[in-house]
Amino acid sequence: MTSGPATERPPTAPAVIRLRGVSRTYPGPPEVTALRPADLVVARGDYVAVVGPSGSGKSTLLNLLGLLDRPSTGSYDLDGVDVGALAERDRTALRGSRIGFVFQTFHLLPHRTAAENVMLAQVYNGTARARRRPAAVAALSQVGLGHRIDSLPTTLSGGECQRVAIARALVNAPALLLCDEPTGNLDSGNAARLLDLLDALNAGGLTLVVITHAAEVADRAQRVISIKDGTLSKARTREER
Amino acid sequence: MRMRPRRVVPERSVLGPVDLAAEALAGMLQRPGRSLLTMLGTVLGVGAFVAVLGLTSTATGQIGARFDALRNTTVVVNDAGTSREPGPVGFPSDADARITALNGATSAGVWWMVPLRRPIIGATATVTAGSHANAGDVPVLAASPGLFAVTAPAMRSGTLFNRSHEHRRAQVAVLGAAAARQLGIAQLNAQPAVFINGLPFTIVGIIDDVARVPDLLMGITVPRSTAERLFPPPDPGSRPAQMVIQTERGAAQLVARQAPVALRPDAPARLRAVPPPDPRSLRDEVDTDLAGLFLALAGISLVIGAVGIANTTLVAVLERVQEIGLRRSLGARPRHVAVQFLTESTALGLLGGLIGTAAGVGAVLAVAIVRQWTAILEPAAVLPGPVIGALVGMVAGAYPAIRAARIEPLEALRR
Ligand SMILES: Nc1ncnc2c1ncn2[C@@H]1O[C@H](COP(=O)(O)OP(=O)(O)OP(=O)(O)O)[C@@H](O)[C@H]1O
Ligand SMILES: [Mg+2]
Repeated sequence: MTSGPATERPPTAPAVIRLRGVSRTYPGPPEVTALRPADLVVARGDYVAVVGPSGSGKSTLLNLLGLLDRPSTGSYDLDGVDVGALAERDRTALRGSRIGFVFQTFHLLPHRTAAENVMLAQVYNGTARARRRPAAVAALSQVGLGHRIDSLPTTLSGGECQRVAIARALVNAPALLLCDEPTGNLDSGNAARLLDLLDALNAGGLTLVVITHAAEVADRAQRVISIKDGTLSKARTREER
Repeated sequence: MRMRPRRVVPERSVLGPVDLAAEALAGMLQRPGRSLLTMLGTVLGVGAFVAVLGLTSTATGQIGARFDALRNTTVVVNDAGTSREPGPVGFPSDADARITALNGATSAGVWWMVPLRRPIIGATATVTAGSHANAGDVPVLAASPGLFAVTAPAMRSGTLFNRSHEHRRAQVAVLGAAAARQLGIAQLNAQPAVFINGLPFTIVGIIDDVARVPDLLMGITVPRSTAERLFPPPDPGSRPAQMVIQTERGAAQLVARQAPVALRPDAPARLRAVPPPDPRSLRDEVDTDLAGLFLALAGISLVIGAVGIANTTLVAVLERVQEIGLRRSLGARPRHVAVQFLTESTALGLLGGLIGTAAGVGAVLAVAIVRQWTAILEPAAVLPGPVIGALVGMVAGAYPAIRAARIEPLEALRR
């Protein structure tokens, strides 16, 4: 086994994420080791927050988890599949169907309605066109936007935009929701309501990994993992905090 | 116990044709004004292309329609003369018969301008040089009767002179409509005459319209034998005697080669036969002179159009880096991104090509209507228009599309 400073409780539920000795070094120059060899297990239904100062390697970790990047060393099993062995096109398909992304900037297409933005997630995984809109409407209802289905992003508040982005991430029923500073562009009221939504989704069984430096975000998670200079620290559970 | 292999990897990402078309259309409509401007170069290029080819075929068609019948069946033989000095006419008196005996020649006639120095011409014998009624500027022509067969005049009144007049060297004349007006002669009931330097000529007919030798309409035409008897011979230096031969279709070149020998076996070199221009060289002339220039301009417009599309598409790619990153995170493969932008640029080019084709066809129709021509638009000139536009768009979009496909999703999403 690879050794790493991050340690894990043996999970009882099946693992959605299993990292073994995963590291990432950007070749540079200058060469930057953004993530030191780390082990991490995220079980189904888990809610994990990753906190750390700027430049500590949070986004690097998220990119690896989201199959947007490949680790320099180590292995990564997503939902029981060793994704390191997969060809790029299979990783892309897996990313589109099994992982939902939520970004700090919402990345909505400005000229498309809320429903059309959600339906964009169904284009590349081959969802039949007739099935897309009902699924998008359901996802928007799930995030509390059933009444703004045909609104353009420009007419929505920041909090509402982020809900559209979450609906887009949920519409394909992913195994994992990856959030990078999901409240970074929201005021405290909207942020709290968004965190309530994430809590509700997690309570419904969704696996969440949230990257943040906001304490109120980390407080909602079942487990908090600190990262500093590319080194993951032991996860602290709610009881330990 | 054997493990049942689990389906671990989902179906590969796809981008169906309907989705592709919808995404490309949305991309184009995102900035409709810019899309229109982008198309402009292609519109101009394809429009010019279609207009040039259409106008060329239309103009060539007119040349064909109007001149094929006349020009391609007309041979002119000029009397080069033996010297600069006027002398006897180079065409024998039986010239008409010699030529019509040739295979492929249907009729033939000789004519020349009679060189009169300050003549006195009038409808009465009393006209003097200074008189108001002197129509001295009306040209006098000599013609063999065969010339009327070649020129097929339309009669206003009366008849034409014939072989018998020619034989008798009769003092008869046929007036062109313009000459008749100038002489104040409208009717032939009273058997009017025209006096040339005091010599009376009975007017047998007035002609209205004529083919091949329009000079007949302007002047007073007398039998060649009469002219040879009464007037000075033609001046080989300025207006030599000329024979005009009507041939059957396709026989003109052959008749032109045979005519000098048939007319003057003793001195064929004295006569110079001019066959009609080769219709193919006529078409080539139109093609090379005018169309070549415009096709070059069309090509330049197309290049400008391509650069415009390439530029706009590249700008669009750079503007939409985040969108590209997002699509990648949603499962788009690089080729899906590339094909989306390529489709957008190709559609822009295709649309530009369609508009340009319509504009080019409109230009051809407008010219044809103004000139009262028959517009001739060959499929070979019209159909390539949209295709050329689409190709321009595709070529122009290739580089931006490759750039788009290479965008790293994590770079794009970081912004
Ligand atoms: N593509 C790259 N090439 C080289 N170095 C990189 C690259 N991406 C990140 N880094 C470096 O890796 C380190 C970790 O970066 P990362 O983006 O993961 O930090 P972060 O924790 O997300 O920071 P922030 O909170 O500011 O978003 C930083 O030192 C950064 O400069
Ligand atoms: Mg970051």
